[in-house]
Amino acid sequence: MFELKKGAFVLDELKNVSIRIGRVVEEEEEEWEEAGPTPKPGILELRKWDHTLLERYEPFYAPMQDFCNLCTMGPCDLSMNKKGACGIDLKTQKARLVTIACCVGASAHTAHARHLVDHLIEEYGEDLPIDLGPDVNVEAPVMRTVVGIKPKTLGDLREALSWAEKEIVKVLHSVHIGNEESYIDYESKALHVSMADHVGMEVADIAQIVAYNFPKAEPNTPLVDTGFGIVDRSKPTIVVVGHNVMYARPISDYLEEQGRIDDFEVAGLCCTAHDMTRYNQKAKIFGPIYYQLRVIRAGLADIVVSDEQCIRADLLDACKKAGVPLIATSDAAARGLPDVSDWPVEKIVDALVSGKLPGVFLPVPEKVGQVAPLVAEAVFRKHGGERKYRFFEDDSAFREEIEKCTQCMNCVFTCPHSLRVDQGMAHAQKTGDVSKLAKLEEICIACGKCEQVCPKNIKIINVIMRANYDNLYNKTGKTRVGRGPIQDTEIRKVGQPIVFGQIPGVIAAVGCINYPDEMKSIVEILEEFLKRRYIVVTSGCHAMDIGMIKDEEGRTLYEKYPGNFDAGGLVNVGSCVSNAHISGATIKIANIFAMRPLRGNYAEIADYVLNRVGAVGFSWGPYSHKAASIATGFNRLGVPVVVGPHGTKYRRAYIGKPWKKDRWWVYDIKTRQKVFIEPAPDSLLVAVETKEEAIVQLARLCIRPNDTSAGRQIKLTHYIELHQKYYGDLPDDWHLYVRSEADLPLKQREELLKILEEQYGWKIDWEKKKIVEGPIRHYDAGFNPTIVEEVYEKYTRG
Amino acid sequence: MAVTKEEKYPSPKRFDIADIQVSRESTAVKPKIVANMIKRAKRPLLITGGQLLKDEKLVDFAVKFAEKGIPIAATAGSSRPLIERGVRPISKTYTLHQITQFLQDEEFQGFDGQGNYDTVIFLGFLPYYLSRMLSSLKHFTKITTIAIDEFYQPHAKFSFTNLTKDRELYHSMLEEVLQNL
Ligand code: SF4
Ligand code: SF4
Ligand code: SF4
Repeated sequence: MFELKKGAFVLDELKNVSIRIGRVVEEEEEEWEEAGPTPKPGILELRKWDHTLLERYEPFYAPMQDFCNLCTMGPCDLSMNKKGACGIDLKTQKARLVTIACCVGASAHTAHARHLVDHLIEEYGEDLPIDLGPDVNVEAPVMRTVVGIKPKTLGDLREALSWAEKEIVKVLHSVHIGNEESYIDYESKALHVSMADHVGMEVADIAQIVAYNFPKAEPNTPLVDTGFGIVDRSKPTIVVVGHNVMYARPISDYLEEQGRIDDFEVAGLCCTAHDMTRYNQKAKIFGPIYYQLRVIRAGLADIVVSDEQCIRADLLDACKKAGVPLIATSDAAARGLPDVSDWPVEKIVDALVSGKLPGVFLPVPEKVGQVAPLVAEAVFRKHGGERKYRFFEDDSAFREEIEKCTQCMNCVFTCPHSLRVDQGMAHAQKTGDVSKLAKLEEICIACGKCEQVCPKNIKIINVIMRANYDNLYNKTGKTRVGRGPIQDTEIRKVGQPIVFGQIPGVIAAVGCINYPDEMKSIVEILEEFLKRRYIVVTSGCHAMDIGMIKDEEGRTLYEKYPGNFDAGGLVNVGSCVSNAHISGATIKIANIFAMRPLRGNYAEIADYVLNRVGAVGFSWGPYSHKAASIATGFNRLGVPVVVGPHGTKYRRAYIGKPWKKDRWWVYDIKTRQKVFIEPAPDSLLVAVETKEEAIVQLARLCIRPNDTSAGRQIKLTHYIELHQKYYGDLPDDWHLYVRSEADLPLKQREELLKILEEQYGWKIDWEKKKIVEGPIRHYDAGFNPTIVEEVYEKYTRG
Repeated sequence: MAVTKEEKYPSPKRFDIADIQVSRESTAVKPKIVANMIKRAKRPLLITGGQLLKDEKLVDFAVKFAEKGIPIAATAGSSRPLIERGVRPISKTYTLHQITQFLQDEEFQGFDGQGNYDTVIFLGFLPYYLSRMLSSLKHFTKITTIAIDEFYQPHAKFSFTNLTKDRELYHSMLEEVLQNL
């Protein structure tokens, strides 16, 4: 039999006709699992699931503007729910905007993945096997569940990528004028494209793990240096910034080859830094995105290499002012710079060192690897190895700057955090004490908005940084290198306690750094849960900031808590694209622990997660579109997300109404009945204002309908304790979660029974200390909930 | 009577200059008007926010509102200092985000089951966070919203002006509201 192989064929008989066979579908691959109902879903395949979710978790809208100016028929006044010239109303327009935001986020990760995969296939070939370590057999849980494939090689990732790209384009299409009429359907599209985002992220991270040999699901990855004060200032320093390690990696390769890695400092900002440390543990992390202006203005960099996403749009300008040359590498951010791909290395180096060009666009990773160190060394020498902070020439210049302030408050009225710069300045003017200004440094995101409106042209960022000079410059910490996926064996171990509730929850702290409070608040929040033996998972900027905060004994959370996915563990999965391992872990619980099939079986898995897996996402400082799509992707998977107060600016939330009793129901597969349940969890996306509120909301949203009595008791104990500690009293809704006396915290059982009787009118058999009447439902050990009709039918059949 | 060009009150300028193209801007009001509106309300509700944890003065004022019989929904942990002062908030657990969602539902019967609120007063919030919630209430409900924080809130129906510069004036205004209740 003639067998088709991959490649191009010319058929002799048919002139000028050639046939290209792309992927040859192998039989074995077809058989790994029976295909579920929704492999490679389009917009409609999971619409029913979305509508079920959204009926319970109603979209909430908080418009930023009363107007719309998305097209030339407008601008339109949409206030008080008027309609625009295109016929759209305010809610639908906001849902459309959220959909656009999620498309932006999803395409950021997916384009990043495409970049990587195409490049890596060229470098390593498409047959490079996907091997994520011996303990990872479920290698790509998101891809398996959503796309319905089980990728074996780098080349296989393209199939998932093509699916995601197609869906992103389709959803983006729907935001054009005259398309969708229903805000619920826009939300469904936002959920859809955000699910695609998790596929994009998974592709990107798997590709870089296998090609670059990043840690493969290792719990005990090394600790690397983090913070502003990490670099040895007597060495040339290369600063990489952005979200794609593909361009930065050759720098460390080149230096290793030359045997000169120890003569340089390679430190980075944001996720490229994260991923550099996964590649080479000699690399260091300055910090997250908001350290860009700080690092550049401080004169810490001898060269800056930028790639894509989360880079300041005035990076070149900032570098120019500080006399630091810039290499832009990604086509996503060419920065108006001349393309020097064809130039010889020496010519590029010369142009940058001499200052003939302030920066270059060089999208050739290998060349970047050579150019960056050569330029860094030459620039370093040019300065005579002299490395002074450049915020101000000297102390008197600093003082003079402060004296200029007239307390007009323009800065305060412009600052995203409304920071009281005026008060800090006034206090310093009067007393000479800059401590009030120093305090602002911990909340200031160095965005620079204030400087533009200051009528006195005060370099406010510099003043704030200089005021906290000693702390800032000595800030060093440790971050655990991103480990990538969670092992199957770890899942096997914790699957049951998570589903049954003995591990009270998984808190996933991910996202950007727009904290409403000092940076250390993220550590305070997470430590509360680590001490209580929740599993804490982290990634991206949150993971970096955690590494910068030390306790009184000088230890960071990474030094105090182990890196394994288990009770009391602090797991850093890695950069933003590594978030897919967090959604992947929840999927793996359904698969490895509960044996639920994954292949094209999204709704069943999401339903499983919603009803059973007490995982909650947390983004204390969200701001990017990527954070929007990451969170929305978690929501579709049944994972609630708590965001900090800036998160309200996404304009949309998903908030259920616990008092609407008819909204809280499930089908019980065991009793074959529709059962009314407690409102758990009662929101899918909700913003909190303070760290106290964050802690309490995270604990309460870990409660799931399927908790066993032992599990519910533990979850309720933590929730009640935290509520009492931070809110001063019992929660308003604790009784809603009580199904029997066994659910009650042991220590408070008697007292709580009394309250149930007196305040809520429940009937208690005091002799047996039993609840006779009152709960929304009684506990049944065989309870088997689902809100998906098809899942109900599947498991009740026969 | 809205605040006009009177010396005593600073201008109602947006706290975040880039914030908001607003079609209907909040009316900046004097304390007496606030008091009258609260008195006229059938179902007033005071919602307190997380800034009570940082500012003892705000707690003092919230306690006085409670003493005047205004029910309090405490958010963000602001229940704690209130409870310590003997106040019993009618809601402690829900976030401002959640409460705003509830208020928009015609079926919401309040935290006591007696019906939805017609006038809601906000005290002690991060300005940008409150701003979004006020926007939501403005577009999607008929509720009278009154912001009595130190920032002018353009999305509220009624708001104090910008008083951040003059805390004494701010406090005296809150005092005046209370005296007139
Ligand atoms: S998209 Fe619609 S609402 Fe927006 S400006 Fe155009 S016509 Fe007006
Ligand atoms: S640089 Fe800092 S102080 Fe200035 S506006 Fe931004 S966050 Fe506020
Ligand atoms: S804008 Fe400038 S002058 Fe005005 S308060 Fe701020 S720092 Fe001072």
